[in-house]
Amino acid sequence: MHVLRWLDPRGWWRRIARLWRSSLALRTITMTVVLSAVAVVGVGIAIDLSIRQSLLDDRRDQLVTLSQSATVSAQRFFDASAGQPNPDVDAILYEGVRAAATAAATTSDATSYALLPAPGQTLPGEFAELAAPVLDGVVDEVVSPAMRAAVDADTEGRVHSQSTGIPRADGVLSPAIVTGSTVEIQGVRYELYLVYDITDTQQTLSTIQFALAGAGLAIILLIGAVTLLVVRLVVGPVHVAAQTSRRLAAGELDVRLPVKGDDVLATLARSFNGMAESLRGQITRLAELSTVQQRFVSDVSHELRTPLTTIRLAGDVLRDRTDRFDPETARTVELLHTQIQRFEELLSDLLEMSRFDAGAVEMEVDRVNLARLAEDTVAGMTALAESRGSELVLIAEGGHFEAEIDARRIRRIVMNLIGNAIDHGEGRPIEVWVDSDAHAAAIAVRDYGVGIAVEDLERVFDRFWRADPSRQRTTGGSGLGLAISLEDAALHGGWLEAWSAPGEGSCFRLTVPRRRGDVLRGSPLALPPDAESESIARTAPTPTQDAEREGAR
Amino acid sequence: MNARILVIDDDPALAEMMGIVLRAEEYDVAFCADGARALDAFHAERPDLVLLDVMLPGLDGVEVCSRIREESGVPIIMLTAKTDTIDVVAGLEAGADDYVAKPFNTKELIARIRTRLRPVTRPSSDIVRIGDLELDVVGHEVRRGDTRIGLTPLEFELLLALALKPEQVFTREMLLDQVWGYQYKADTRLVNVHVQRLRAKIEEDPDNPKLVMTVRGVGYRAGS
Repeated sequence: MHVLRWLDPRGWWRRIARLWRSSLALRTITMTVVLSAVAVVGVGIAIDLSIRQSLLDDRRDQLVTLSQSATVSAQRFFDASAGQPNPDVDAILYEGVRAAATAAATTSDATSYALLPAPGQTLPGEFAELAAPVLDGVVDEVVSPAMRAAVDADTEGRVHSQSTGIPRADGVLSPAIVTGSTVEIQGVRYELYLVYDITDTQQTLSTIQFALAGAGLAIILLIGAVTLLVVRLVVGPVHVAAQTSRRLAAGELDVRLPVKGDDVLATLARSFNGMAESLRGQITRLAELSTVQQRFVSDVSHELRTPLTTIRLAGDVLRDRTDRFDPETARTVELLHTQIQRFEELLSDLLEMSRFDAGAVEMEVDRVNLARLAEDTVAGMTALAESRGSELVLIAEGGHFEAEIDARRIRRIVMNLIGNAIDHGEGRPIEVWVDSDAHAAAIAVRDYGVGIAVEDLERVFDRFWRADPSRQRTTGGSGLGLAISLEDAALHGGWLEAWSAPGEGSCFRLTVPRRRGDVLRGSPLALPPDAESESIARTAPTPTQDAEREGAR
Repeated sequence: MNARILVIDDDPALAEMMGIVLRAEEYDVAFCADGARALDAFHAERPDLVLLDVMLPGLDGVEVCSRIREESGVPIIMLTAKTDTIDVVAGLEAGADDYVAKPFNTKELIARIRTRLRPVTRPSSDIVRIGDLELDVVGHEVRRGDTRIGLTPLEFELLLALALKPEQVFTREMLLDQVWGYQYKADTRLVNVHVQRLRAKIEEDPDNPKLVMTVRGVGYRAGS
C-alpha cells in the first residue's frame, strides 16, 4: 500500500504542490532560475545567430574571391588551348577544370567541381557534363535550378554563390558552399560550379555554440546558487522566528531569538524577544495568581472541615435529644441539622471543583456496564422521584454497554441529572435513556417540565448559576452540580449536552467513548431521544387513549 | 468494663465534641493534642482503640500511626480532612485500619469504632488452616510451624475471613462488608492496602503470593 501511494503520480503532484506552497525559498529560487534561464537563452541565441552570420559571410566572401580567380585561370587555359590543332575537347575541358579546382582548393579537402554546358547550345563533342566523383549523380541536388538559372542569366561573368549540402555516403549532408560562373570554350558556354566543403567552419561554429551553452548553464547555476544564499540569509532568520514562535505558543516561554547585528532582522528579533518576555511575565503572573487562588479555595475547604465536623457532631447530639425540647427549639434543631448537611454538600462540591481547577483529579477506570449503572442509579432515586410525583422510567436497548469509565464519576453525573429532572420535572414522568454503538455509550435524562429558556440554556453549566432565582428549590444542591458533571464528562473525553424547549421540558445527554482515549464523533442517542429514531418498541399511547385524554380536559 | 478510646486531635473543640459523643456511647475517652506526646499518651492510657488526626503539630499523624503500629496491633482509625488518594493511602500504609473523612457525623464515627471493637466471629473450630499457616482463633495467633507471626486484629480477621471459606472468591465489597462493616459502597483501597500489608507479613514471596491470591477483576481468595 505504501509503495503504491508513492508511485501514484497524483500523490507526487500533490506533494510538489504542497512543497511549492509551503517553501518560500523553493518559490524564489525556482522563479529566479527560470527567469534568468529565459534571459540567458535569449542572449545566447542572439550571439549564436550573429556569430554564425559573420562566420559564414566571411567564408562565402573568401570563397567567391577564390572562385573568381579560379574561373579566370580556367578561362585562360581554355583560351590558350583554343589555338591547338585537332583539339581533344574532352581532355581540354577536364584539364581546365582540374586546374581551376586545384586553384580553388582551400583546405586539405579537395574542392569539388562540375562543368555543365549551358542549355540551348549545340555541343562540339560527345561531352555532356563533367563532375568530380563526389558529385556523381547528385549535381542536380547540390546545384539548385534557381542557381543555374541565375548563373545562365548572368552575362557579365560574375560569380554566384549559395549554401548547400553534399550528400555523404552515410546519408548526412555535409555543409557546403557552391559558387557558379560561366566560361567559354571554343564558342560554347559552360557553367563552372565549384563546391566547397565547409565542415571545418561548421565545426568552429559548433565549438562556439557548445562554449556558449556551457557558459549559459554556468551562469544559470551561479544565479541559482546566489539566490539560494540570499534566500537563506533572509528566509533563514524568518524561519527561525517562525519555529521559535511555535515553541513559544506550545508553552516554552523561555525561548528567544538570537540577535545578530543591527539590521532589520535584528530589529525583528529584538521586538520578538520583547514580546516573548512580556508574554512570559503575564502568563507567569496569571499562573501564580491562579495557583494562589486554587490553593486558597482548597485550603479554605480543608480548614472548614474540622469546625464543620464539630458543628455536625454537636448538631447530631442536639437532634438525638429533640424530644426534650419545646416545639420551636426542636424545629430550630431540625433546621440546623438540614442546613449543616447542605453546607457540607456545598463544601465537598467546592473542594471537588478546586481539584478540577488544579488539575489534581485521578480517575479509576474500569470496564463498566452502563445500562446496569443507570439501572442501579434509577433504582436508588425512584423513591425520591415518587415522593415528588414523578415516575422514573428506564429505557435501555441491548447492545455494547460495556465502557471504560470511572463508575463513581459517571454515577455522580447520572444522579445529578436525575436529581435536576426531579426538581424541574413538575411531577411528570422522567425518562432515562441508555444506548450505545460500537464507539460510544450515552445516557440521556429527559423530563417534561417547564423547560429552560433558550438564553439560559448555554448558562446551565456555569458555576452557581440557577435557572430561576425565584423558584422554590427543595432538593437544594450546591449550584455546582452541572459544572462538576461537565468536568467529569470532559475527564472521560465525553460530552454533556443540554436540550430544552419551554413548556416541553428538557433533556441532558451524556456521551462517553467506550474505549478510554477514543475521540467521540457522534452520540448513539438523539437529543432529545425519541422512540422512533431509537427504534425502541415502547407501548406508545394509542389514539383512543389520546382521545380519552382530550375528552377528559 | 468499657472500651477505652484515645483521641489524638489538636483541635480542642472537635476533641471535646468527640468526647461528648463517645461518652454518650459509654466509652472511656482520653485525649492528646500533640503529635510529639501521642506515644507517651498511648503508653499511659493503654487504649483499646485510637482515633488519630492526620494533621498534627509536633509529629505527623501518619508517623504517629506507624510508631504505634511498631509496638501494638491496637485498632487505629485515622481522621482525615483530605480524601485525596495520597493522604489516605499513606495513612493506611502506615498501618491504620480504617479512616473517617471529615466532616463525619456521629453515626459514621460510632459505626467505624464499633466494627473495630466487636469480638471476632467465632468459627466452629478453634484452629483454622490456610496453606502452611495455622490460625488459632481463640488465642488470636498465627503460626507457621513453631514461628508465631504477629498480625493486627484487622489483619487476623481479614485472613480468617478468607481462610474460613477457601472455595469462595471474595470481592472487595464483600470484604469491606465483612471485615470493615461497610454496608454501602466504600473505598476499595482499604482492602488493597491491607491485603498488601498482610501479604508482606505472611507470604514467603509477597510479589508472588501463595496464600492470599488475587482473582483478576473480581477480588481475592485463599490459596490452597
